Amino acid sequence: MGQSNSDTGWRWISERGLRVATGGTTLTRYLSLVSQNLPEIEDLIPSDDSILLILHRGAPVSAALRAALAAPLADAATQTGRLHEIAVEYGGAAGPDLPGLARRAGISVADCIERHAATDYTVTFLGFQPGFPYLRGLPEALCAPRRATPRVRVATGSVAIGGAYCGIYPADGPGGWHLIGRAAVTTLFDPARPAPALLMPGDRVRFVPA
Amino acid sequence: MIEVVRAGLCDLVMDPGRPGWGALGVPAGGAADPAALAAANRLVGNDAAAAGLEITLSGPLLRFPAGGVVALTGARFAAARSSGVTVAWNETLVLAAGETLSLGPAQAGCRCWLALRGGVAVTPVMDSRSTLLPAGFGGHLGRALQAGDALPWMPAAGEIRLLRAHPPVAPRNGTLRVVAGPQAACFDDAGLAAFFNSPYRVDPASDRRGVRLKGPAATHEPIELASQGVLPGAVQVPPDGQPIILGWDGPVTGGYPVIAGVISADLPMLAQLRPGNTVRFGTIELEAARALAAGQWDIEDIA
Repeated sequence: MGQSNSDTGWRWISERGLRVATGGTTLTRYLSLVSQNLPEIEDLIPSDDSILLILHRGAPVSAALRAALAAPLADAATQTGRLHEIAVEYGGAAGPDLPGLARRAGISVADCIERHAATDYTVTFLGFQPGFPYLRGLPEALCAPRRATPRVRVATGSVAIGGAYCGIYPADGPGGWHLIGRAAVTTLFDPARPAPALLMPGDRVRFVPA
Repeated sequence: MIEVVRAGLCDLVMDPGRPGWGALGVPAGGAADPAALAAANRLVGNDAAAAGLEITLSGPLLRFPAGGVVALTGARFAAARSSGVTVAWNETLVLAAGETLSLGPAQAGCRCWLALRGGVAVTPVMDSRSTLLPAGFGGHLGRALQAGDALPWMPAAGEIRLLRAHPPVAPRNGTLRVVAGPQAACFDDAGLAAFFNSPYRVDPASDRRGVRLKGPAATHEPIELASQGVLPGAVQVPPDGQPIILGWDGPVTGGYPVIAGVISADLPMLAQLRPGNTVRFGTIELEAARALAAGQWDIEDIA
């Protein structure tokens, strides 16, 4: 790959995965790339501050793609998603890690719940499992590094904290985040629905204590 | 309908997969060696994208009440037909009504592909018939085949041609070629030296989500990374320094440093690694990797 200035935020994973640094404009850049429907792109995976472009086998980076990645972006303010209000049963068996998190933050469990439910979160991206949302907006006091040992089984709907993210498990499975409660959403992900994921990048989430 | 009399270790309905849903957290999945499944499909007269079975380490016993035209590609497994006819690999096989096909353990390698003329007729989910086992959807009821299953199958009419396929000649020296990864710079000299100069053993805890390796630790400075997009072949290294090569059903994002990425041309080799095998890593330049064409399967009529 030529090392022109536009390549400085580029990193490759094998010869097909081009990871482009996008900083705070990930979602806008992602939507812009989706709308351009470039033929060499097989898939686009946005994350917090980068997008992974998976190219078709053998496809080089075309001039059109290079231009699309360098093009100025339209006003990001127009990209506000849906607001979802989600009831949560905090603590107890559904949120076994809540007391520990409260202790860590030096606040009471009740305060912990209040602070967690007081913010609006933004769905930054989906990953880990189909439909698993990475939510930004967690109050700093509640941020906590992942558990040293992941749990073998985390129940569907568990609301959890991992680093600076909040997430909701769409299905049973292993998980290394701190569990604080259970969301009253029936299905975060259903492959049979026209829109399989309930929460999409750009959507907002407000948790309501049940 | 095809009867599953006895299930193998992990028999999965697969087609070329469902690329394009990564933003929803859904990996592309699909046959671990799509060219091998496509070749099997061509041997039975199917569209190359028809659904077949991916069979891992030990295979099933299948009964064909109405007979059928099938073909096997990939790793060779112990195999027998109730008719007593030898089970050839890479050839069109015509089964009589009521005949059974029994696959035992893989003799070398890990996976084979079974195509059925007409294709496995499970309902597509998100544009594909491939099983996504970690999420429990696609394929046959979102799971591996079980004894007693009736696998939906769409018989096809028309002329049957007896064909033979010649697999691409693969470099079989146990070295996976990689392009240096986005976080290669996080690794110290000892870690990089270990990764590129040591053999790694494939751990039994490997599956389509990831091939776990055991060997000298690829050490790196402690680093807290945001989860970022990854793809099959990405070599992630958790804090213990033991590399994990992400597989076809692996997560679409990951938070461990990626030291390297196995190139597309060597993913079929990854598909055949079995627990206990050893692998090494060797580097290749990006452009050289891109110029490597997919291995060509040649198909000819059996005279």
